[in-house]
Amino acid sequence: MPSNTVSISKLLWFKNVRADEEPVDQKKYLEEGCKPKCVKQLRAYEACVKRIEGDESGHKHCTGQYFDYWACIDKCVSSLP
Amino acid sequence: MRTVALLGAGVSGLLGFATVASADEAEHGLGVANYPWPHAGILSSYDHASIRRGHQVYQQVCASCHSMSLISYRDLVGVAYTEDETKAMAAEIEVVDGPNDEGEMFTRPGKLSDRFPQPYANEQAARFANGGAYPPDLSLITKARHNGQNYVFALLTGYRDPPAGVMIREGLHYNPYFPGGAIAMPKMLIDGAVEYEDGTPATEAQMGKDVVTFLSWAAEPEMEERKLMGFKWIFVLSLALLQAAYYRRLRWSVLKSRRLVLDVVN
Repeated sequence: MPSNTVSISKLLWFKNVRADEEPVDQKKYLEEGCKPKCVKQLRAYEACVKRIEGDESGHKHCTGQYFDYWACIDKCVSSLP
Repeated sequence: MRTVALLGAGVSGLLGFATVASADEAEHGLGVANYPWPHAGILSSYDHASIRRGHQVYQQVCASCHSMSLISYRDLVGVAYTEDETKAMAAEIEVVDGPNDEGEMFTRPGKLSDRFPQPYANEQAARFANGGAYPPDLSLITKARHNGQNYVFALLTGYRDPPAGVMIREGLHYNPYFPGGAIAMPKMLIDGAVEYEDGTPATEAQMGKDVVTFLSWAAEPEMEERKLMGFKWIFVLSLALLQAAYYRRLRWSVLKSRRLVLDVVN
């Protein structure tokens, strides 16, 4: 059994992955798990996308809502053990 | 008349800021989360197995574009590899040395005392090979960026599709953490890109964690000794503070407990 990283790190849950399975990227997995916590920001982003649909000027963008959503996800992921 | 003109100039100047403010968010880059690094505690050391893996990631993924010109092979001895392993690793590279007795430069296999090899001869060559962008030297990168360790980890693992309405030109890639959002480096950490010597599964997050640990060590190799020293001296100086406070109060007690009497002189 290879000696893995220190137990405090969130990257030590490999004991849950079977040897024949392709290991899933831990960060992506945690980000998926955090999606329900950030639904409000996700809906706000989707609403923005809908609002700027068909915009020809090229000046409209949803960076604000995108940042709000990903800031929420990052905060959630970094707080998980 | 002049005050009206000045006021007008001031207002139009302030209005000029209105369009800049909307681009501000992307300009600063998305705020970085603070991850629980194993070496973050007041008495925590580096995870040296992680430094070893991180060096492997650097060598195989990053070294083709990023130099680490302040690190020598000998720095790795006792930290990530044994002396023999490091000697063997150094011997794999060719180093220009000289001049010899005939006045010519010659190449020889690397030694422990050699610095890490440079991917490009100079900055211009690096810019030319990378579309005008210079891949920065990584020797001190975690100290050279605000909240460096978390920033580098977020950057490396944060390549995503841009938000709606944001166009990134050909040749650049979107990364929300990079100031401005458009970075020249493509996503380099892909699951399975490296096969770790110790058998750890090489996922993107694992490689990101290991390479940042390696870069943290490279920027602050003295960290472990510094923490031990700091703890020892803060303890000793606290005792000295208590002693000094007691002694001061002891000596001053004479003056602080005196009584002065004012009397009338005839």
